[in-house]
Amino acid sequence: MTERPSGANNEAGTDMTGAATVGEVLDGLSDDGLEGYTYAYLDEHTKREVRRAVLKAVAIPGHQVPFASRPMPLARGWGTGGIQTSLSLLGPAETFKVIDQGADDSVNAANIRRLAARTADVETTTDTTAADVIQTRHRIPEEVLGADQVLVLQVPITDPLRTVDPSDAANRRRHAHANYGKIWVRLYESIVEHGEVQIAARYPVMVAGRYLMDPSPIPRWDVPKLDNAENLFLFAAGREARIYAVPPHTDVQPLAFEDRPFRVERFDGACRACGATDTYLTEIETEDGERLFVCNDTSFCEKRQEEPALPKDHHLDRSGVDWGPGTGTSVEMATDTGPATDDPAPDTGGDRT
Amino acid sequence: MGYVAAVAGEELIQRAADLFDAQRVVEDQEPVTLDQLDGQLSRLTAQAMSEGGVYAPQLGALAVKQAQGDTVEAAFLLRAYRSTLERWDETATVEPDEMFAVRRVSPAFKDIPGGQILGPTKDYTQRLLDFDLADEERFEDPTADWEPDNTDTDPEPLGDVAALLREEGLVAAPEPPDGPPTDTTREPVGDDPDRAAVLQELARGETGAVTALGYSALRGYGDVHPTLAEVRVGRLPVRVEHPYTGDEARVTDAEVTSAEAVVPVQEKRETAQFALGYGLTFGRNERKAIAMTVLDAGIALDTDAEPAEDPEFVLDTIDPMDSFGFIEHLKLPHYVTFQSILDRIRTLRAGDEPPPAGAASGSGSGPDSEVTTDD
Repeated sequence: MTERPSGANNEAGTDMTGAATVGEVLDGLSDDGLEGYTYAYLDEHTKREVRRAVLKAVAIPGHQVPFASRPMPLARGWGTGGIQTSLSLLGPAETFKVIDQGADDSVNAANIRRLAARTADVETTTDTTAADVIQTRHRIPEEVLGADQVLVLQVPITDPLRTVDPSDAANRRRHAHANYGKIWVRLYESIVEHGEVQIAARYPVMVAGRYLMDPSPIPRWDVPKLDNAENLFLFAAGREARIYAVPPHTDVQPLAFEDRPFRVERFDGACRACGATDTYLTEIETEDGERLFVCNDTSFCEKRQEEPALPKDHHLDRSGVDWGPGTGTSVEMATDTGPATDDPAPDTGGDRT
Repeated sequence: MGYVAAVAGEELIQRAADLFDAQRVVEDQEPVTLDQLDGQLSRLTAQAMSEGGVYAPQLGALAVKQAQGDTVEAAFLLRAYRSTLERWDETATVEPDEMFAVRRVSPAFKDIPGGQILGPTKDYTQRLLDFDLADEERFEDPTADWEPDNTDTDPEPLGDVAALLREEGLVAAPEPPDGPPTDTTREPVGDDPDRAAVLQELARGETGAVTALGYSALRGYGDVHPTLAEVRVGRLPVRVEHPYTGDEARVTDAEVTSAEAVVPVQEKRETAQFALGYGLTFGRNERKAIAMTVLDAGIALDTDAEPAEDPEFVLDTIDPMDSFGFIEHLKLPHYVTFQSILDRIRTLRAGDEPPPAGAASGSGSGPDSEVTTDD
């Protein structure tokens, strides 16, 4: 499914190539899309500043780079960092996907997608494999992302150390010295008190062995996908004015102890719609008191309803790609840790080795 | 799979927005005009301009109208619009005594050069509901018959009370600006913000939040209990340097409220001196300007003993866009993270189960454990 903004036109592209100066390009663009606003909403200086912050973030994986987050026509805390980053990266040739809590048609995702379509003249899609840039809140898609894709994650709270000290000034000093003792103590105390680490989503990770990073409130299920991925992950916080990144092929490890390894969520059932047992499910209480599970990634679930055995790397040349629970070498982990022991994941991987 | 989130997301958004807009005017009422809003509810438009960080009364009125009177929402509309505008230039610095004041009181002194000017204020009235306003046919200007004493000459500029104290050395002279001023809308506020950054953030702070934090210091959570040198309401000239001649040209006026407070500080200074707390906000908003002086002076103490003295705490919490956005974002769906929390809680509750081989499992203690996502 693609949507074409009715107000946007394609002449912008031809004007751009025919223009002699940057000024002419800007003049040519200023009338397109949303009337009275510049291309992709943000002025060119802002987009350049955001791109600089992105480059710096890529150069120092996991390090939080400040930028002067602009007020956006969306409320802060509703994806303003993500949309500033997306709009700074998008060009008219790009295809854009927005998901909120795994769903393309969540109302806030629809609003963000509409802003990009109206102002940046981009094509939009709900197909993860067809998107160049994907903006997401709280999920990493189930389908494996490739080297030519960028995932922009919306970040509410930038620093995992905030849980042990609310002062960012103090926490920046801790990051500078790689002084992460306090959070290790917190994890240890959590295990002593409760038997396991009491962090549900937003599980802290160590990036490239150097920076402690908040992966945004993705479920633990998605955390392994960050490690040694093909794609670039950008994390953007508009309210807190920080951008950070996990570049491709970066080592990302959740904080865990040798005898208390990191574990993902487990589900007592399969997706009611597609039957999947290797995806992140959310539960629904029906009116007659029944508890159902359903895939959280709605786009992939729809594909699985057509083709139940579709592997998560179906669109890639290679198979057996490691992309979190139920894929690659993580298959073991998923079956070991879940109640999946009495309901093991079917071999949906096809030719997976 | 009809139970998965609504499919027609875009259409639902539009319909919800239409419903909201339908509430803007009840039944067959006449819509209010921008002139009516700016002319009769100017406190509202001024608050939107102040928190929105842009001085434009007609736009302020438009924002208030569109936001149906919600000042933070109106400020939000103005900020989003403002951020798309090019930043052309900086205005020339104006001195406080250039203000054409309609009101000016100095609680610190019984009499001051230029005199106390009560001006328009409801401070000394009894707050009784005026039922005559309920069905007011026509506005009767109670000052219509007033005869001005003197219409021939311009009023004398009012002296600046803080300047008197400076002459005596009781208040330190302000440090001259070091290069172009900070602009916190274009540069992120760092760990150790300079005073310009602090004052800008305070000036755009939410009136209620600035008032509450300022009050917290007075209430005892802080050491600042200022004496106000003066409070003024009036118009300040806006001047820019002419790009060719280099002369300053007055382009417009802006209505502002300013407050200056003196705070005795003994420590950290060789001789006893007052610290100066400053507040300035667009429009008539004495409450916010005065509360700003408390926070400005408290932050200048350079201690973080109390919340209202800690610049990080104050600046992190007073911004209406930040607080409003993040508080209201809790309305967004959170079922991914909630599922993750459910998983943790259930694991804990099933604490008797032995951990599966090779994995850490809950041998946990009870259902009252705290599970965090902090999103």
